[in-house]
Amino acid sequence: MTSVRRHLARTLLGTVLALGGAGTAVLLFAARDAAVDQFDAALRAKALAISTLTAPTPDGVAVAFTDHFLRGFDERNPRDFFEIWDAQGRPLARSESLGQGDLPRPARVRERPSFWRQRLPTGRPGRAIGLSFSPKPAGPTQAGAPVWLVVASDSTGLNEDLWQLIAIAAVSGAVLLAATLWLIPRALRKGLQPLDRLGERTAAIDSHSLGTRFAAADLPAELRPIANRLNDLLGRIEESFERERRFSADLAHELRTPLAELRSLVECSLQWPETRDPAEPQEILAITDQMEGIVSHMLALARGEQGQIPVRSEPLYLDRLVQDRWARLARGAAARGLTADLQLDPTSVTADPTLLQSVLDNVLENAVEYSAAPAVLRIRVQTKAGRAVFSVENPAPNLAAADVPRLFERFWRKEAARSGGRHVGLGLPLARVFAEAMGWQLAAALDGAASLAVTLAQARAGPAPAAG
Amino acid sequence: MRVLVIEDSVRLQRTLGTALRKSGYAVDLSGDGESGLWLATSNQYDVVVLDLMLPKLDGWGVLGGLRQRKHDVHILLLTARDSVADRVQGLGNGADDYLVKPFALEEFLARVQALCRRAYGDKRRVLMLGDLEMDTLRRTIRRAGRDIELTSREYLLLEYLARRTGQVVSRSEIESHIYDEQVDPMSNVVDSAICCLRKKLGGADQAPLIRTRRGFGYVLEVDGPVCA
Repeated sequence: MTSVRRHLARTLLGTVLALGGAGTAVLLFAARDAAVDQFDAALRAKALAISTLTAPTPDGVAVAFTDHFLRGFDERNPRDFFEIWDAQGRPLARSESLGQGDLPRPARVRERPSFWRQRLPTGRPGRAIGLSFSPKPAGPTQAGAPVWLVVASDSTGLNEDLWQLIAIAAVSGAVLLAATLWLIPRALRKGLQPLDRLGERTAAIDSHSLGTRFAAADLPAELRPIANRLNDLLGRIEESFERERRFSADLAHELRTPLAELRSLVECSLQWPETRDPAEPQEILAITDQMEGIVSHMLALARGEQGQIPVRSEPLYLDRLVQDRWARLARGAAARGLTADLQLDPTSVTADPTLLQSVLDNVLENAVEYSAAPAVLRIRVQTKAGRAVFSVENPAPNLAAADVPRLFERFWRKEAARSGGRHVGLGLPLARVFAEAMGWQLAAALDGAASLAVTLAQARAGPAPAAG
Repeated sequence: MRVLVIEDSVRLQRTLGTALRKSGYAVDLSGDGESGLWLATSNQYDVVVLDLMLPKLDGWGVLGGLRQRKHDVHILLLTARDSVADRVQGLGNGADDYLVKPFALEEFLARVQALCRRAYGDKRRVLMLGDLEMDTLRRTIRRAGRDIELTSREYLLLEYLARRTGQVVSRSEIESHIYDEQVDPMSNVVDSAICCLRKKLGGADQAPLIRTRRGFGYVLEVDGPVCA
């Protein structure tokens, strides 16, 4: 189907023309039959009148009326004709209008009238009725022998009426055809305008106008579901595009500084070789490591946001894992003047060990890195309402309440600086994505004493705590 | 010419400092906005290279702080922000130039040099001072058809005096524009440098270009017209 409008136009035109033609034909036949029936009724009345006025005589029959009684039978205005034969076919009576001519005698005539078309002696078309009857005498004598009567009338007027009817029907049909040809395309164009506008607006949507939305309420009921689905689809595409754009922009932005470092380092060495630092290869390696870290974190985040992180669930002890991850950081924390107040209740969970370990590392490293020092970090593993909960609390006097929701934003840092490239602001966002991929929740809260609590909790109750 | 680089990336700070020093500039480095603003307001710099994402006080704060104090030092913004809106905001807030990371070192140096020229209201590339010809792009000196080899610091001193031809330039002005914080202010580096420069510039039969105005400083004077 190339065009709905063309298809509809063809179908409607065909249907209207077929129905109109059929209707006109039916009307035409009905009108013709009615006219012929009326004509035949008149013919029958004339035949009955003649049969009533016909009386038997010794020589045959006598018709007791003059042709002037029924003007049509007059020879001066011959429009009606009759002729009577006896059973042997001998003519007994005839109308003056026949003049020298004869009506053709039918081979067989019954009492029940029969009608047929008849070419008249005048050469004009006509219809005829034939019937058989026994003339009745005026007195109480027996009826005469049966005779055959044929009455014919000029049907020129009837034919003219019928042709006129056909002409009217043809003109009406032509007018109907013209009106249909004129009206249907316009009606379709007008009726399909909302669809055209929807199509045009849809065609105009490109990657720069994904914010376009259709006002479904203003559309006809048939198009509303389409507009609603299109709006949903556009919303999802826009979100996806925005995510990709943000990913590219964030990535490009974060890579600019290490790239600038790398380029200026190399250019400087090439232009002034005597300034080359022996540690330069290590510097270059560190920069490329940093860039690699940014790219891998960003890709992991992007995959996480698209729900593409594979999760392998297996039973493990959360308290032991926390103990193990903290042991890695304890020495560095002590160097900063940080100690841990560990309260780890035995807690078994079902989770992806790699993802969970990554989340724990991120949260613990974040606390060690950003906690005010000296301080005691309160590290807890507990079971609350059947849910395993891990939390770390550390003093964060520089953090404002408004900063807390931003902790999980990509590339957000309390200070916009890069701090020598060690932190790019992806740790906590990535930890949250990993937690959500496992069906856990990672949240942060700041209490009145400027203590930041980061909590990792199962979204649903897990297995009962096990000793051990 | 003295340049202040305010950049929190230690690596970038180091390479930019090296490149600028090798190109003959006196360079001071700062790793955060607060100390950068303090340095910029405490010393006389010809150009400040300013990163926007800085700890303690970001680049916008430094830029605003300098302009609020009516400090007209030329500022080159060096940033990873590459959108048109960022550039417009940077230039609209009083920056003189904008360079997006990563950049070619050559372009960076050319922009710093262009800003230095603007600092003295002189956009000529080649300075003709009598029989002395200075190509500020190639950093070459010729006098009476003879090429003269200068160290980068000597060249810088000569260009500074040449940009202010006919004006007396004090010793402290020279110190603050040509020497960075690494130089001891009590030393006689300026006198020594002027002495060396005179020797290299002046032949036995040539008139001295740099004259001493006792109690005031030095002045570079030529008998003929100064032209491009």
